[in-house]
Amino acid sequence: MVVQMKGITKVYPNGIAANQNVDFSVRKGEIHALMGENGAGKSTLMKMLFGLEQPEEGEIIVGGETVALSSPTVAISKGVGMVHQHFMLVPSLTVAENIVLGMEPKKRGMFLDYGKAVAITEEYSQKYNLHVDPHAKVMDIPVGMKQKVEILKALVRGATILILDEPTAVLTTQETTELFKELIHFKETGHTIIFISHKLKEVKQITDRLTIMRGGKSVGVYNTADVSEQDISRLMVGRDVVLKVEKEKPVPTDVVLKVEDLSFTNDWSRKMLDGVSFTVRKGEILGVAGVEGNGQRELVELLFDMAKPDGGTIQVEGQPITGAGQSKIRGLGVSHIPEDRMLFGVAGTATIEENLISDRYWKPKFNKGPLFDMKAIHQDTQQLIGDYQILCKSGGQSVANLSGGNIQKVVVAREFSSDPKLIIADQPTRGIDVGATEFIRRKLVELSRAGTAVLLVSADLNEIIELSDSLIVFYGGEIVAYFEDTSTLTDEEMGEYMLGLKRQSDEEIRRVFHA
Amino acid sequence: MRNKTLGFEIIRGAASILLALAVAMVFIFIISDEPFTALYNLIVAPLTNMRYIWMILERMIPIIFTGLGVCVMFSANQFNLAGEGTLYIGAFVSALCAIYFDLPPVLHVIVCILAAVVVGGLSMLIPAILKTKLGASEMVSSLMLNYILLQLGLYFLNYHFSDRTQGATMTFQFKPTAQIPKFLPNLIGRTNLSWGIVIALAATVVIALFMYRTKWGYAIRMIGVNESFAKYSGIKVGAMVVLCQVLGGVLSGMGGAVEMLGYFERFKWRQLPGYGWNGVTIAILAKNNPAFVPLAAFFMAYLERGCNLMQINSDVPAEMLSIIQAVIFLFFAAEQFLAKYRHKLVVKGAKEELAERTSGHGKKGAET
Repeated sequence: MVVQMKGITKVYPNGIAANQNVDFSVRKGEIHALMGENGAGKSTLMKMLFGLEQPEEGEIIVGGETVALSSPTVAISKGVGMVHQHFMLVPSLTVAENIVLGMEPKKRGMFLDYGKAVAITEEYSQKYNLHVDPHAKVMDIPVGMKQKVEILKALVRGATILILDEPTAVLTTQETTELFKELIHFKETGHTIIFISHKLKEVKQITDRLTIMRGGKSVGVYNTADVSEQDISRLMVGRDVVLKVEKEKPVPTDVVLKVEDLSFTNDWSRKMLDGVSFTVRKGEILGVAGVEGNGQRELVELLFDMAKPDGGTIQVEGQPITGAGQSKIRGLGVSHIPEDRMLFGVAGTATIEENLISDRYWKPKFNKGPLFDMKAIHQDTQQLIGDYQILCKSGGQSVANLSGGNIQKVVVAREFSSDPKLIIADQPTRGIDVGATEFIRRKLVELSRAGTAVLLVSADLNEIIELSDSLIVFYGGEIVAYFEDTSTLTDEEMGEYMLGLKRQSDEEIRRVFHA
Repeated sequence: MRNKTLGFEIIRGAASILLALAVAMVFIFIISDEPFTALYNLIVAPLTNMRYIWMILERMIPIIFTGLGVCVMFSANQFNLAGEGTLYIGAFVSALCAIYFDLPPVLHVIVCILAAVVVGGLSMLIPAILKTKLGASEMVSSLMLNYILLQLGLYFLNYHFSDRTQGATMTFQFKPTAQIPKFLPNLIGRTNLSWGIVIALAATVVIALFMYRTKWGYAIRMIGVNESFAKYSGIKVGAMVVLCQVLGGVLSGMGGAVEMLGYFERFKWRQLPGYGWNGVTIAILAKNNPAFVPLAAFFMAYLERGCNLMQINSDVPAEMLSIIQAVIFLFFAAEQFLAKYRHKLVVKGAKEELAERTSGHGKKGAET
């Protein structure tokens, strides 16, 4: 056993016990998956192993000695390295500079020896078969390479135990395949890898053993070969989860959202959208796929008037909405699940009730003269908490104390219950547990079949292929493909369009614009 | 969870007050030859005599108004500090109405207060609109506005409205119809406490309802919690930012009028009276909750009375008040004060909750 954690308990300042008497151990030279729904306590456990958090109780043993990991510096000195889900790199520095950051080789005692930094980068890059360009600036390189830089950073610092926090979340299918080859190579050179994930397929494919966590506790340790995907998912949520969404064939009717020739340049003069045209009709779910950073985020911002376009028009049921303001857009029957739920979706320290009424608090239904009709508000809140299965003690509880999945349910409850004509769902299930994910997907299909137009933006390929009726692919701020029927589409085919290897003809793409 | 946090806040508040008094004690023991007399006068004496109590209530009037105004503005994260200037100009305008209008008793008071309210609200439009239209920091512009309003008032007082027959610069006398009558003199004897205290408490009730029971108060609070969320939800952030600041001006303007008509017979303020600053302290003590404002105002007025008595009856100067206030302020504003203790409470609560939940789970499992 190269790592042993015994009886770990961790309580966060908001009162959530993220870990409760957890035991966890890893053998030398294995790839060990740490699995569980969001909020199960995986990241917390690993943060303690990397010295970012300290446990209230429990013991951590690395390489046979009991250690007090008071900071990442201490953890690194014990050979523990971590690659975070959100990269911790300096965008304006080169790859080589990032790799030696904090341990720079010096020239004449005070200047950075850049040649040596490059040499170190190349040495490790060769040794571990991780190809990076040492001279490129981090802001210019693709996500996959940024991840390699992060891994190299850990290796250069002498890490023999590597923690990877959901490493494939940001990668394309091809990049993931490449990462897996690298991980196997590490294993062969005697490194130990802890792989945090909730993607069942990947875990089955690459890991030797797995530990499953649920509700802050360890559920058990298994040899990967001995358990099926269904077993794992059952252990993770404590019941069977149908990962497939059942839905009837769509019957699209009138156009609800019409986007024509939309262009947008960001604050750094980069053209993020270039002549984008498409429509979304009543009763259909149109998916927007693409590697992150290809204009999807900007599109959503424009649709909800959070930014001003260079040119082009956006209409909801024939009404132009550019510059109209959020209250008018909502008035037209547009709902929006924002990508960043803590920044836009909720007011964290406010109560569940206050969060549920934010788009409708002004309506006559909730007001009696100048005062709120508290009875009507409480009633509505209770109804929504029940309908959307929000796990809480009462509507007066603050939203920040809920788990990620339940916070998203609060957002969804509000956005779906306003009788919307159009739903703009941006990463509706990102980072939330399987139960909540399934629930939200089912509601989305239900609403679309009842006649709501849905625009679904998601970086999760499975989700977008599974949920969308038809689909457009974004690459470099343009639509490069339109698939009218997603049922026969494969990940690989999508990947080629998403990476810009292929592009449909203009006529084919134009089919998504139903005038 | 909520009750526990509230309980903790009360413990924390009490601890900061005790610590502040302890610090004051240290200073008193250092500088005073009669420390026990000084301490007695500071802490106990203000509560020993009904007359002192009436005086405390009387001093609460203006700072309840400014405290409420600051609560409303801070709730939306608008750090507007012009309560001072708007109170001043409100008092001045109400004084002019009290001198130059001829109206029947109650109506006259109402008109004077309304005039102050309008002027206070209009003055606050300046920092509010500068903020929403040009993105200028309301903190900076409101601070400057205080001095503009003071100088404006002084100009009119000196050159147009002063009573030349008097030795010092002051206006003519207010008409008796414009004066707010003293509070139940037959019952409590001759004091300076006016019916203004009732107006102040009524304003507290109205503002507490406004903040927690109306759509406007709700919108203002949501902007304070998360402005991006408010905008995304369709709340008209710009309009609400203007509204809350205007309301702040309305309240402090009203406070100026009530103080002027209830306590004075002529307007003679030649500098800012300081009630606006007290309002900021009160809002912080009350955690921006209007319902706690009278409590915080009582505490401030009690401390002030104690310091005055200490100055009269012992050798410690009343400036000690500033030290005590500063220390309380420091501990209240310091997030980390007693944070470790708080974390222990949280850990304990979480463990209890988990135990509860697991037992609940077991039951559910048995049913299915």
